[in-house]
Amino acid sequence: MLAAKQRNPRSYRIVGPQRQIDERETPHPRVDRGELGERLRSWRSTRAGQDPFRRIFGVGGGDPKNCLQLIMRQLPEGAVNADRTAVSDPASMARNIKEVARFLGADVVGITHLDQAYVYSHRARDKTAMGQKAGDPIHLPHRYAICMGFASDYYKFLTNNSRISDADYGLGNNHMIAPTFMLAAYIREMGYPARAHDYARGEVNPIPLAVNAGLGELGRHGMLIHEEYGSRIHLSVVTTDLPLAVDEPVDIGVTEVCKYCMKCARTCPSYSIPFGGKEIYNGVEKYRINVDTCYKYRLAGRGQWTNCVICVSSCCYNKPKAWWHTLAVWSIKRTPIPLRPLLIKPLLWIDDLFWGKRPWRHMKWLDYDNAPVPVTCDIPGCQVKHRDLQHKQLHRPTQAAGGSVS
Amino acid sequence: MTYVIVEPCIGVKDKGCIEVCPMDCIHGTDDDKMVYINPEDCIDCGGCIPACPVGAIFAEGEVPEEWQHFTQINADYFNGKR
Repeated sequence: MLAAKQRNPRSYRIVGPQRQIDERETPHPRVDRGELGERLRSWRSTRAGQDPFRRIFGVGGGDPKNCLQLIMRQLPEGAVNADRTAVSDPASMARNIKEVARFLGADVVGITHLDQAYVYSHRARDKTAMGQKAGDPIHLPHRYAICMGFASDYYKFLTNNSRISDADYGLGNNHMIAPTFMLAAYIREMGYPARAHDYARGEVNPIPLAVNAGLGELGRHGMLIHEEYGSRIHLSVVTTDLPLAVDEPVDIGVTEVCKYCMKCARTCPSYSIPFGGKEIYNGVEKYRINVDTCYKYRLAGRGQWTNCVICVSSCCYNKPKAWWHTLAVWSIKRTPIPLRPLLIKPLLWIDDLFWGKRPWRHMKWLDYDNAPVPVTCDIPGCQVKHRDLQHKQLHRPTQAAGGSVS
Repeated sequence: MTYVIVEPCIGVKDKGCIEVCPMDCIHGTDDDKMVYINPEDCIDCGGCIPACPVGAIFAEGEVPEEWQHFTQINADYFNGKR
């Protein structure tokens, strides 16, 4: 009954059969195996020790017992309470569960059916507490996916890329772990199976599930765009068999905005985001980013940063909470689709005018300062003028990346 | 893989590629005839290709036959400098 006739998302389209993705094919395990080069593998395993935030957030090094995500990764899953709570109204239960999720700390929450296409086929990491090994097939027969979003700080992300944006990004990754664990535990104590999928451990791809759950739409940069928070949102999922009413995908105008905006493609330092149209990959029509160049760009950090968040910061949906942003998105949503370009083009012009073509802000926080520093060339004798990122040229659509898409 | 700068750069040295390279992996001195891509630092993004006014940059596997040796010339430039 509840599964009948759900609206299709507009920001991606299923055009053929989808195979389940093996978690070992995702970027981190590939880098750990050295498939993106020995230099990147070495960087990932040794970049530790540069900052206490990095050590506590599990970006590398430090005592594993000081890192929440590494601790939580090895925790066993609790038992399902034998005293099952009866559910007579899934819609009412869905409202309650969303309230619990918000109470536990989620900023946004939505529910969708668990599509097995978005469950990984095999796991990439050992989980000794559960007797699971890397390479084991994943069996996740749950019916529903409760998708939660945890927003990051707008202004700290604007310091991209810096230790400040790194710290906030790391906090977001770890911040989601406890609420997700608690929501799964809460449902298990109601007498229904439930599993937490968060930054510490996960068996699902949260982005398509979050789109289906109505948290936002899929952007040109391959991430979820929420109408209020843009893409500065960390996603986690609880899968369960608790009977719940599901939400519908939303239309917040991302399809039209991403067609004309291209701010992420202009600002992506590694040319990983396409200027062109959508492509078909694994049965899905969507914008396809070059994940290899995106990941390899981390080597440009020179010890000053670890995670690039430039596309997140530059997205025109990424704004502080303000009435004018709400009004702009509301206007796009209410405008008939064929007329949206008439509204979007002036809005994008205003966005560039007031927020800049490359959104960035100077900030001093604790002992950190993200002021651009001159590039020091490590090649003896080199006399060419290397510019820091803030003074590099923005990309133009005619400068399409020549890198091969992986 | 890496990208490679080949013969048309000699004597031109527009350096537009340096402006766009995210990894700052294109180097050279005033006395060099051309600039060179450090194959260890290049992340294969291809951003330099449209920035070159003389079409002197190719992916390693797509270097024209007559300029194949420039792959080694680019790599050799950084021998002893890394």
